[in-house]
Amino acid sequence: MWQMVGRRETGRLPPHKFRALLQKTRLYSIELAGHKEIASAHKSGVNSLQIDATEARYLLSGAADGSVAVYDIEQATAYDHSTRTSKHEALFMVDKRVLNGHLYSVSCVHWYPIDTGIFVTGSFDNFVNVWDTNTTQVELQFNMSKKVYSLSMSTLATTHMLIATGTDDTRIRLCDIASGAFTHTLSGHRDSVWVVQWSTRSEWVLVSGGCDGAIRFWDIRRAGCYQILDQQCSQIGRRPPVLKKSSRTHGREDNLCTKYLNASSPIRQRGQKRSFGISAVDSRTAHYGSVAGLQMTADGLHMISAGTDSRLRLWDVESGCNTLVNYPSTYIRGNKGIQMAVTPDSSLVFTPSLNAILVYDVWSGHSYSSLRGHYDQVNCCAFHPQGQELYTGSNDRKILVWAPRRPIDIDNFDYEDAEQAIKADEDAWSD
Amino acid sequence: MGDVSDRIGRPTDNGQIGIIDPDCRLIGLHLYDGLFKVIPIDSKGQLKEAFNIRLEELQVLDIKFLYGCSKPTIAVLFQDNRDARHVKTYEVLLKEKDFADGPWVQNNLDNGAGLLIPVPLPLGGVIIIGEQTIVYYNGFVFKAISIQPAITRAYGRVDADGSRYLLSDLTGMLHLLVITHEKDRVTGLKVERLGETSAASTISYLDNAVVYVGSSYGDSQLIKLNLQPDSKGSYVEVLESFVNLGPIVDFCVVDLERQGQGQVVTCSGAFKDGTLRIVRNGIGINEQASAELPGIKGMWSLRASSKDVYDTFLVVTFISETRILAINAEDELEETEIEGFDSDAQTLFCQNVLHDQLIQVTASSLRLVDAISRRQLNEWRAPPGLSINVAAASSSQVLLATGGGHLVYIEIGQRELIEVKHVKLEYEISCLDINPVGEDPDRSYLAVVGMWTDITARIFSLPNLELLTKHSLGGEIIPRSVLFCTFEGIPYLLCALGDGHLFNFILDVNTGQLSDRKKVSLGTQPITLRTFRSKNATHVFAASDRPTVIYSSNRKLLYSNVNLKEVNYMCPFNSASFPDSLAIGKEGELTIGTIDDIQKLHIRTVPLNEHARRIAHQEATRTFAICSAKYIPTVEDMETHFVRLLDDQTFENIASFQLDAYENGCSIISCSFTDDNNVYYCVGTGYAIPEESEPNKGRILVFLVEDGKLQLVAEKETKGAVYNLNAFNGKLLAAINHKIHLYKWTLRDDGTRELQSECGHHGHILALFVQSRGDFIVMGDLMKSISLLIYKPEEGAIEECARDYNANWMSAVEILDDDIYLGAENSFNLFTVRKNSDAATDEERSKLEVVGEYHLGEFVNRFRHGSLVMRLPDSETSQIPTVIFGTVNGVIGVIASLPQEQYMFLHKLQQNLVKVIKGVGGLSHEQWRSFSNERKTVDAKNFLDGDLIESFLDLSRSRMEEISTAMSVPVEELCKRVEELTRLH
Repeated sequence: MWQMVGRRETGRLPPHKFRALLQKTRLYSIELAGHKEIASAHKSGVNSLQIDATEARYLLSGAADGSVAVYDIEQATAYDHSTRTSKHEALFMVDKRVLNGHLYSVSCVHWYPIDTGIFVTGSFDNFVNVWDTNTTQVELQFNMSKKVYSLSMSTLATTHMLIATGTDDTRIRLCDIASGAFTHTLSGHRDSVWVVQWSTRSEWVLVSGGCDGAIRFWDIRRAGCYQILDQQCSQIGRRPPVLKKSSRTHGREDNLCTKYLNASSPIRQRGQKRSFGISAVDSRTAHYGSVAGLQMTADGLHMISAGTDSRLRLWDVESGCNTLVNYPSTYIRGNKGIQMAVTPDSSLVFTPSLNAILVYDVWSGHSYSSLRGHYDQVNCCAFHPQGQELYTGSNDRKILVWAPRRPIDIDNFDYEDAEQAIKADEDAWSD
Repeated sequence: MGDVSDRIGRPTDNGQIGIIDPDCRLIGLHLYDGLFKVIPIDSKGQLKEAFNIRLEELQVLDIKFLYGCSKPTIAVLFQDNRDARHVKTYEVLLKEKDFADGPWVQNNLDNGAGLLIPVPLPLGGVIIIGEQTIVYYNGFVFKAISIQPAITRAYGRVDADGSRYLLSDLTGMLHLLVITHEKDRVTGLKVERLGETSAASTISYLDNAVVYVGSSYGDSQLIKLNLQPDSKGSYVEVLESFVNLGPIVDFCVVDLERQGQGQVVTCSGAFKDGTLRIVRNGIGINEQASAELPGIKGMWSLRASSKDVYDTFLVVTFISETRILAINAEDELEETEIEGFDSDAQTLFCQNVLHDQLIQVTASSLRLVDAISRRQLNEWRAPPGLSINVAAASSSQVLLATGGGHLVYIEIGQRELIEVKHVKLEYEISCLDINPVGEDPDRSYLAVVGMWTDITARIFSLPNLELLTKHSLGGEIIPRSVLFCTFEGIPYLLCALGDGHLFNFILDVNTGQLSDRKKVSLGTQPITLRTFRSKNATHVFAASDRPTVIYSSNRKLLYSNVNLKEVNYMCPFNSASFPDSLAIGKEGELTIGTIDDIQKLHIRTVPLNEHARRIAHQEATRTFAICSAKYIPTVEDMETHFVRLLDDQTFENIASFQLDAYENGCSIISCSFTDDNNVYYCVGTGYAIPEESEPNKGRILVFLVEDGKLQLVAEKETKGAVYNLNAFNGKLLAAINHKIHLYKWTLRDDGTRELQSECGHHGHILALFVQSRGDFIVMGDLMKSISLLIYKPEEGAIEECARDYNANWMSAVEILDDDIYLGAENSFNLFTVRKNSDAATDEERSKLEVVGEYHLGEFVNRFRHGSLVMRLPDSETSQIPTVIFGTVNGVIGVIASLPQEQYMFLHKLQQNLVKVIKGVGGLSHEQWRSFSNERKTVDAKNFLDGDLIESFLDLSRSRMEEISTAMSVPVEELCKRVEELTRLH
């Protein structure tokens, strides 16, 4: 550390690289944080978590009892001097007692990407609610008439305010906050859609994963899906023979891996689909079983998917190729999607797997650690990019904080503190 | 022109790469991981719209275009997931906007391979520089050579055919790499060691074996490669060095000469090029002799004969007498006589003139004296009732002015004075000059006269004294000194007023026309102008309450302060014992001294041959203490660390204290403690064990300087590296890893003293930078911006009162005043935060509000309060607090806290200047100065760009007026305000 500071001082280590290196080293030491505690306000399992994109300060959580809560993760509500832990209690919680509050399990929560004045929740009670953070009231409701599994808003969007929703229905519907109406219905999946996510590269591109094992890419400016990922397609690194590409015949087009994100592809895709009915293209799968989680890297060039086949796959988004990175097995089962998290530098991915969160290197698939601390199945992860903290929610109703290791030190004068801490502990036990 | 940045993308870890195809078909950029941006160039040389190509290699180390390929082809050096390094080639297909696989691939290279050198035709191919091997490959021929382990950072091509290259490694060793070939077939590689230079970051082979070595760790050098090695076996001969202050890792501001002017002492350079640099504003006079002589009214130096190289006499005049001083055999200044001179009157002028003669002008007469016999040869007497007021002469001419506005022109012949012309002007004459500026050095064809009453400068032709130009200076202050002079071949007229202002004009030698009038303020008292020569260039010395040297660089006049308080008269005095010296008449004193090199900042270098990391100055013992590291180049990464004590005048190493193995000096201060009169040096250290990511052991060492020795008085072990130390109300505040500790200095029973910890504060990631003021502590965290802590003496505790919730990665902090704190962060930005102690809610009080943001473009390592300029007690600028910063690139800058009114005014000026002054390449100033890091980009606020504002003074008159109209403020007023600003640094 001192050497790195020294190398930055002399200019041998460029500041941005210093930052990247330090973040990486800190990430590898991530463990259950002893200094920070979220007092979960929920009475049942936590299904979804999200940290706001503007200040990275407020954590939104949704739980199976239909409650939604917001926590300030920067400023503690209480500080315990003996154990040196800061305690973060919910700033507010809303549940079914609020007018139009969710009756059943909240499956997904999402901050409005521009500010923290609005958040959006989706629930198994078939409703998508748009909340005003300041009044904690429901401002707008969308009735999806099926269980809502997933919703997403684009962090890039400058021209639209669409909530993409994945429900028990095969169709994906886009809800417009501005008008309060559905603007798009995207059909293609042949089973429930557990995950939807907007691309981190283009505000028009939406990715969805369904129980049919398919991952579809949609460009909302065009009809139909333009790309379906195929787990068998893995020719990454091989460049297409470009001269042939321009003269390729229509029939040879099923080799989609070699096709690039150009403007004409969605249309051609559609034409193909019509002529074959349920074509080979249409029956492609990304996973055997349901697609339970999708997470794009911050630069939008890669995507990680998780399936109930207990597999993680890394995809090259532009070519649609399976990179065949072998992630050691996870355990993903259940009847709803999971939330994974990828670090902003795309080095690590966090995946819930039973009671643990597994940490993999994105590029090699090497398993770094398994974060254990929850007493029940983990449902969701949210990564705090600046503090390099991971927040996880589980069926044990807890929200745990995982942070880079802090050195434990006991200096002379700390003995007194430590003694007090022991006393405090004793008290706690005697209760 | 366009913007090649992408909204989304992860910036490359290994730095941006920008390359141009040798056949100029495209520009290639690697800015974001996984993408290669192409800017096509069409046949007319126009840039086309840029596009991205997906690059699958993630950890790219280098990309270069290959020579002689029909399609543009790049070679990519990259590292894979298993840390192995490979080179791959791609053809860039412009039409398809894609890559195609290139002609060859070379896998599994040296693990330290880091640099590609494309070889031009006829050989083609690429050289891959590793740490242990150098490889040549072109798809068919593979040649490798093993080398001494070295990290090569820079290369330079010697021949156009690419058969020889210069390589420089981190230790500054220069090697020559030769590709041996038979015609177009490569037969092998050869490496030869040439010698040592500064550690190079760029090498440019100029011609005739002359090479420019640019260094970011030491001085850049111009070297010559000799055919034969010298006695040490080195082929390298350093022709010239170019000062580089970077990287400034630490510095302190001290007033070594106790003149009220700060100097900056920096820890500069890295590795073997480590130095201390003493940076001083203005030009120093190094005093060599001085004598008490009150009442000096003028000084001139004279040569004993026109053939002499050196001056012999120094003529010093007083109100009613003239004394002549000369250097005697003992090198002492002794009074002597020149018989022909009138010693009972005040001399107005004297000089060596043609035919080995001297002239002396007094109020009553002009005398011509033989230089050899020293007898009077001739005399011209002023008309009765009139006395001579001012006079000037060239080698063959004298121009006198007497009361009543009479102007007399006299030519000097052999043993005679000939009155050639006499005119009467309507007003009294205040000053005049006939310094030759034409081609003839002995004869002037122009004369300038400054007038009372109408405040004009008039140019007359010689010898017929015809008025050529009359230039009104405006105002009511009379000109006190006028001077013709030539800088860099351009003739100027300088005209100084009685209130310290100076006009300069460009002079047309033939017509006497004046143009390009500029006005600057040099001081507040009357100025006397004198030319002198130093290092074969003419300079002008302006003697006043703020003595200044005027010189020219790149055809621009520059004004540099002299580090003297007040000078009344100056004359060059180039004697045998004091060569190249100046005689300076101050209040009550005559000084002879040499002058430094003429430049704005004067830099003195103290080579250390080791890397200084921290520095502190102790006034009481007049010493510096530094923490330094000595690298032993033969052993990999082995270094020894020292605490060294240096004399603050000579910079000699007086004493050293060697630290333990792996122990690094991390911080140093000079401080004193409560109940103890001694002043100590406190050094914080950390044990950097190679396997440990974070030092978990360190020490605080307390030294007392006694008889030039470092006495270790106390030491205290800590649980981590002591990144920072601060004197804190008679106690010691230490930042140790993620904690802040307060230590008190206690007396043990046996009379010895020790540091005892009193309280602490934790919860930081890494407390890197700490400053304190009163009971407040401002802390810059590694990655969590600035926090404000307060020490509560009653409770004996440190508590956090507020913090900035932005996640800034800090590089330095400083306290500007009670409420405003300054920070520098990792992405080259500056920002200020304000304490909100009056806010209504707890929430607001606990938040440091960001008030100022600015992109500096430099990585700041240290802030210190202080100033490089002499503060005059009466000037307004002395009230403005300033902070100096030092950066990795060696920049020293000043941040001044301006009063609101001045800020508003200058802000308006800046906005108007931006419209007039266009940035290089048309880049927007506003965009460049926007605070920008990986999370956000916002416009700069509450910071002004001083460099931009000061460039107002360089504008042409018409553009100044343009701005003046836009602001509805007169040009003179604008100039005055901007000049005030320039006086801050």
